[in-house]
Amino acid sequence: MTFLSVALVALSVAQDAEPRAWTIQVERVYTGTGRNLEKGLVLVSAGKISAVTPGAGEEDDRPNDVLKAYAVTAGLVDAGVRVTNWQSVEQSKEVTPHLRVADTLDPFALDWDRQLRGGVTTVLASPVDRNVIGGLSVVLKTGGPESIADRTVKADAVLRGSMGSEPSAGNHPAFGRPTDFFSRRPTTRMGVEWEWRNAFFDTALNLNEEDPGRATLVAALQGKLPIFIQAWTTQDIRTAVFLREEVESRPEFAAAGMNTPRFVIDAAAEAWKEPQLLARSQTPVVLPPFPTAGRTRENSQMAWNVAKVLKDAGVPFALSSHGSGDVEQRLANQAGYAMAGGLGFEDALAAVTSTPARLLGVEDRVGTLEVGKDADLVLWSGEPFQPGTRVVATIVDGVLRYEGWNAVQGAAIAR
Amino acid sequence: MTTTMKRATCAATLTAAFLSLSPEARAGDGRLAIKVGRIVTLAGPDIENGTIYIEGGRIVSVGTDGGRWDAEVIDHPELTAFPGWVEAHSTRGMDRPNENIEVAPFLDVRDSIDPINFYFEDCLRQGVLAINVQQGNLCAIGGQGRVVKPFGLTIEDMTLRPSSGLKIAIARPGRSRALQAQAVRRAFRDLRQHLEKLVQDKKEGKDTARREALFQGRDPDKDENKKGRAMEGNAPWKVANLESIPRGEVDEKQEPLLRLVEGKMMAFVACDGAISVVQALDIARENGFLANTVLVLDGDAWKAADRIAEAGVPVVLAPQLLHVDRDPITGKEVETFVPGIFREKKVRFALQSLNSSAQSLWFQAATCVGYGIPRDEAIAAATKVPADILRLGDRLGSIEKGKDGNILLLNGDPLAVTTSVQFVVLDGNVVYDRSKDVRVRQILEGVEQPNASAVDSGDGDDVDPHSGASKGGDKKSGASDKKKD
Amino acid sequence: MLPILLAFATATLPAISLPADGPLAIRAKFVWTGGGRVLENATVVISGGRIQAVGTDIAIPEGAELIEHDGYLTAGMIALHGATGAVGETQDSTRTVMPEARVGLALDGRARDFGLLRDAGITSILVTPDASGVTGGTSALVKTLDGIVLRDPAHLSLVFSTDALSSNREPTSKSGALALLNALFTEPRGVAAEARSGKLPCLFEVREREDVGRALAFAAEHELVGTLHGAWLSGEMSGAIAKSGLSVIVPVLGVGTPKRVLDAVARLEKDGIVFGFGLDAPWNHADAMRFSAALCVRAGLGRQAAWQGLTANAAKIAGAAARTGRIERGLDADLCLWSGDPLDLASRASLVIIGGQPVSMNGAASAAKESQR
Repeated sequence: MTFLSVALVALSVAQDAEPRAWTIQVERVYTGTGRNLEKGLVLVSAGKISAVTPGAGEEDDRPNDVLKAYAVTAGLVDAGVRVTNWQSVEQSKEVTPHLRVADTLDPFALDWDRQLRGGVTTVLASPVDRNVIGGLSVVLKTGGPESIADRTVKADAVLRGSMGSEPSAGNHPAFGRPTDFFSRRPTTRMGVEWEWRNAFFDTALNLNEEDPGRATLVAALQGKLPIFIQAWTTQDIRTAVFLREEVESRPEFAAAGMNTPRFVIDAAAEAWKEPQLLARSQTPVVLPPFPTAGRTRENSQMAWNVAKVLKDAGVPFALSSHGSGDVEQRLANQAGYAMAGGLGFEDALAAVTSTPARLLGVEDRVGTLEVGKDADLVLWSGEPFQPGTRVVATIVDGVLRYEGWNAVQGAAIAR
Repeated sequence: MTTTMKRATCAATLTAAFLSLSPEARAGDGRLAIKVGRIVTLAGPDIENGTIYIEGGRIVSVGTDGGRWDAEVIDHPELTAFPGWVEAHSTRGMDRPNENIEVAPFLDVRDSIDPINFYFEDCLRQGVLAINVQQGNLCAIGGQGRVVKPFGLTIEDMTLRPSSGLKIAIARPGRSRALQAQAVRRAFRDLRQHLEKLVQDKKEGKDTARREALFQGRDPDKDENKKGRAMEGNAPWKVANLESIPRGEVDEKQEPLLRLVEGKMMAFVACDGAISVVQALDIARENGFLANTVLVLDGDAWKAADRIAEAGVPVVLAPQLLHVDRDPITGKEVETFVPGIFREKKVRFALQSLNSSAQSLWFQAATCVGYGIPRDEAIAAATKVPADILRLGDRLGSIEKGKDGNILLLNGDPLAVTTSVQFVVLDGNVVYDRSKDVRVRQILEGVEQPNASAVDSGDGDDVDPHSGASKGGDKKSGASDKKKD
Repeated sequence: MLPILLAFATATLPAISLPADGPLAIRAKFVWTGGGRVLENATVVISGGRIQAVGTDIAIPEGAELIEHDGYLTAGMIALHGATGAVGETQDSTRTVMPEARVGLALDGRARDFGLLRDAGITSILVTPDASGVTGGTSALVKTLDGIVLRDPAHLSLVFSTDALSSNREPTSKSGALALLNALFTEPRGVAAEARSGKLPCLFEVREREDVGRALAFAAEHELVGTLHGAWLSGEMSGAIAKSGLSVIVPVLGVGTPKRVLDAVARLEKDGIVFGFGLDAPWNHADAMRFSAALCVRAGLGRQAAWQGLTANAAKIAGAAARTGRIERGLDADLCLWSGDPLDLASRASLVIIGGQPVSMNGAASAAKESQR
């Protein structure tokens, strides 16, 4: 059986592929609800999970297609994917709350296949953080019909912005004549924070009536739209938390009925330094990829036990790969690194499935293996999140979107 | 400049901290018994509750006999013993990996390896106990490499084997393939011409070579230098009457190449793709060193796997184990698992680390398992196979009687992400104790050092000069913290 | 009746001095009417600049000049997309949203480049605004003789590709560009209102398949009609395009065009999508359009489908199907006689007639014609 040299081709499925009825037979079913099965079946039909039962499947006479592997989990959810090209964010202004990153996404991009190969089925796609407030992020599936609209799970799900130095990078003060429209504020961290506060106050005091972004900001301040704010370092995390507390306590916001924002801190690499700050304000966190040698962007120091520290402090957190296509940076490996830092397996599984689903408000559809949820599944060749395990199949909405060589099944499944 | 010096001082003190052996680990007169819950020997089945007895730096016995009364005992029933990983090729650990000289076989990494470089610290931490340090790929023929241990204050202390091989680069970024291949060929042609000229001059009674040798500081009349020897080896070309030349008179710049051609030196040939592989094999055949060649691969070199199999040479794989091509018709990405190709073609392959920290050899071996390589073969690709390739198979690569006393003590399965190296024994001495590893605590727990400054190099080396006496220094970070589920 | 037999093989010929208004009859071995029909040994009668009759059994009127052609007679080709006569005038870098700009007003109908188009058998060209802003205004369909306007404005140009984006001017992002386009169609005025009402078709400038997706969604949302230009692989989305009712302009395809692209063009025919060919003259040589079509035929596109793309369907896309593009009674006499099969690259246009006037013979008469004015 010359199974090793098979080139692993992402299965390209026809545009109008119908979801099939599947029987998944595994040694381990990790449902993500705390109930796990040894030797179990997951049944899929019409794009949804129809059953999760113990059993080995011999007596099953359904006409389903059978997939076998060592383990199955829900499809992974990555809440921190950035669309890393400059065309994903409108930089003519620093504050563009109403612009939608969904309008910039390319359903034909190769990145989706890479995510599928890593077992990621749902992502929150956000614009790159060149703006202070970049716009509306979208929750969508990584596989599906070749149209962003058809893959969208939740449109305009989250208002995206950033603290820190990234939004001001590229702006420069105009000494003499401005050379281009990047000769503008903000050029410093405090300028970035000012843009946030300015946008919020203008909204509360109704000074931005004409602004197309006003309605979005109102919804964000009223808590109807979560705000994902990037903050790598402790000082930026503090700034974000203090900004939230300011909105919650200042009379201007209370008077306008806009004092209940919901913040999630994205890329909170230094969250481990002051977890109590996040705990007391109930601010959830999305973590960035683990660095190999201690420091990462903005020179922030990310200790590998950050997930464990947050877990112990009661701060909800999700892990993220930032959409990297590198094998060692994949979301599944991030969960492994979190485990190396002391996090337990169930908590690691939650951090890449049910918790991000909840933070994004799509937990009714994805995030766990429960009857009635979308049939988004990942089949593993061993224990999930170990580097010695790989994804052998990825199913999205009941359609097999990726399959690779599979020891249990044998050669790539013939159709 | 100050920052570098500060780092250097810190690192030196840190290494000193490593070197100061804890009382537990001081071997009694060179005898050490390691009792562990499991020994992964890689030379047969695992041994439960076994003991490894080391004397004089060598493993004397491996079994369940419970140790000797006259040896210092390390007793860790919760840990697993494992042989050290072997890095078949690395360009790290030097002052700088590349030189400006195109053909420089006279250079030796001995002069540029920096014993206090953080790379070696990382190797200890990740359990890589033997590293073949070679020059980088920006040369035609580079200098001589050396297999070293990641421990020792001087290069001599670190050396496992000097002159492990010459580095040759068949392709070079920024240069046309034709030019680079010709540069390599010309080096051998120059060698030949040099030798022929020596013979000719000797016939004509000139003594230029002798005077040159004296100028270069070699005494052509001393010992071995005095003797002449006919040209040995299997090269298709030979220089007649070479025995008339005292070997000491061969130019020191050419002499290592002569050793290569005579089959007395290995060659590590870097190939950036399939084309380079073919060129490399040709040049090796033309100059008689095919039997001593190891190919260091990159890019799409795996496409030439058949030719490599035919030539019977072993390979060191690129750190990227999955090669991605784009299908020209559909535009989709096609991933090829490179080790699988070589396994299928029955070519011996060794792995390289992706980086020196989190994705070291264990990670690469684990990835191989995920993609279908049987576990024992994946582990062998980073232990026994590189040991054999480096001609140190009798000393490294497994825990067996007679081999070097180099042992890792792990707190779990060697390929699990939650496992870490707790202790390292090198030549029968405990040289690494994770509970005292300051940098691990920085990376893992974010523990900052009391006097650490905010200005640093950005790669995480905030090292305190007083690390040995730091506040948390004596607390064991707890091997059990890391082992979960 | 004085038959005038014109020897098409020779290069030197006397200048034609047929009166423009007198009836002209052409009898050709093959007549491609453009409606999909191929008539053999048919006659076309032209008078007053228009086609009066087409058929195999037509009586030739009194006093008509007769041209006998032992070869092919077709409608003149229509190039969709170009800047002939308006080079340098199709782009305004000061504003990214300029819907009211009309390229038709910037056109010099007497530009020399039109002569090259005539010589190649192209009788009309759609001159289009540059795709360097979100909208550069409206296009115009003109004949390649004297800049006779067939339709102005012909389309409103809307840009969905990254060409509209800039790194130092709004919009820098696709979402910003889309926001500007949406703003244009929110309470639309002027040309935008005309487009919204369906009276003015739109020219959707695209490149990648994702641009096509966005353009289709936009057209559906604002109930726009029109045509897509610029995406080599639009054929791979032919299902969605067919549903939308939009047509497609295939950009110029040169030597070495990948098979995947040619297959995509063939799919347009298979899924019943109306398509034509662009030229981007004067940057591309006038022959490049026929070359594109020939490449596609070589790769599997139907011959008549290709030819209709160059003539009848092109006229439909440009909104001038009532005037030109087919050999049919009542339409303008914009015709072309060929020295061989029109889709054979070794053939050339032996005689080109625009509005009943011969304007080019074997590529040589243009200059002579010019001097007569």
